Amino acid sequence: TAAAPRPWRLFGAMCLLRLPRITQPLEKEEEEMAALMGQIELEKSQYSDHEIRKLEEEEKLRRRKESMYDDDEAPGKTVIMAQDLEDKWEQKLLRFKPAPRITDADKNNNRTSLNRKLDRNLMLLVKQKIGNQELWLLPQVEWQPGETLRSTAERAMATFLGDHIQAKILGNAPYGIYKYKFPRAIRTEDNVGAKVFFFKAFLQSDDLPQAELKKDYLWVTKDELGDYLKSEYLKKVNRFLLD
Amino acid sequence: LTLCLPYSSSSWLPQAAPSRGSHWQTSLLTVRASLPARAQPKKKKKVDVKKEQAQKDRMKKKIRKLEKAAPEMIPIEDFITPLKYSDSNRVRSLPPLSFEETERRVLLMKKWCLFKQNQDKAEKAAIQALVEAQQEALKELRLESEELYQAAIRRDEGLFPFERDGPDYTPPLPGYDPPEGKCVDITKVYTQ
Repeated sequence: TAAAPRPWRLFGAMCLLRLPRITQPLEKEEEEMAALMGQIELEKSQYSDHEIRKLEEEEKLRRRKESMYDDDEAPGKTVIMAQDLEDKWEQKLLRFKPAPRITDADKNNNRTSLNRKLDRNLMLLVKQKIGNQELWLLPQVEWQPGETLRSTAERAMATFLGDHIQAKILGNAPYGIYKYKFPRAIRTEDNVGAKVFFFKAFLQSDDLPQAELKKDYLWVTKDELGDYLKSEYLKKVNRFLLD
Repeated sequence: LTLCLPYSSSSWLPQAAPSRGSHWQTSLLTVRASLPARAQPKKKKKVDVKKEQAQKDRMKKKIRKLEKAAPEMIPIEDFITPLKYSDSNRVRSLPPLSFEETERRVLLMKKWCLFKQNQDKAEKAAIQALVEAQQEALKELRLESEELYQAAIRRDEGLFPFERDGPDYTPPLPGYDPPEGKCVDITKVYTQ
């Protein structure tokens, strides 16, 4: 007898990524190579106007010291030397204080903040009740007939983060799937298990209005996912995540 | 009694001999006689027209000659080194590289080659894994429902053009007022 298609419940889940805002630190080889490239460029180059001016002024100074001030330039005339300009620029640079690459949220390990780990991808995890368990999952919502899976994922995002999210969903196709069977206690003929289809989106806006989030949420990197997700689920999620 | 004397150059009444007994017409006739005679204005017209025509032809010939000549190449500014950079005093004087230094450089290049190769392999493997995961998901979706599958493999029109500002070295400083400045574009524009 041909087996009837076992019905699975469909869920659409959204993996919302906050893209990195600063560059990752260079590897050792990259740093060495960058230094070497700079050196080679210096060797192959010629003197620039600024450098020629500096060299000439150094010459003049040296000659003046040797010949004890017997040239025609009056001491009252203030000439701006190239060296002075360089010092001035250096001072200006030191006075500028850029924003720190390691933020406060990093130091406090505040995993609910978006300002943590600015050089890595952060993804959203929410605590959801599945069956009778509270689990950390990517936000998911059951599929309703009449909508595409992508709109299910969008609805999932909206339920947890509110309507005014600026996220760019990458395409109509799912990126991954997690299939699981319900425990034997609640398994029925038409309700064997569930298939969760994952979609990816990039967060466009820089900050989320904090009041919107109702439940427990976390923004974690790929490495920290292991702290929260179950192993089978984690395996499937890791397949479609780039670091 | 009115005599219509059209004064346009195109039509002139024939030069009538002074009619008899028209004493009041003589003044008009004298006026007409004092005006330039009939043949001359037409000559002026012809000569003018001819001259203008000849000028136009000459101009057209010049234009055709210019067009026939091959178009001048637009010089690529980047490939022309300005003369001031070929002075000899510009040459940098650095001590020659030691043997150890050259050795170090060669070894570093080789290490870099390997590093980049591994990086590339890892990237390609990651992309392959991504594609595999997606294919698996689509296969499962197809088993579920054909309609959803078709909706999933449809092209997303709103995705491209996709623009994003790349990561900087430091995060944006809140409340930073960048100094004012004006950028004057002095690139030369050539027309052919």
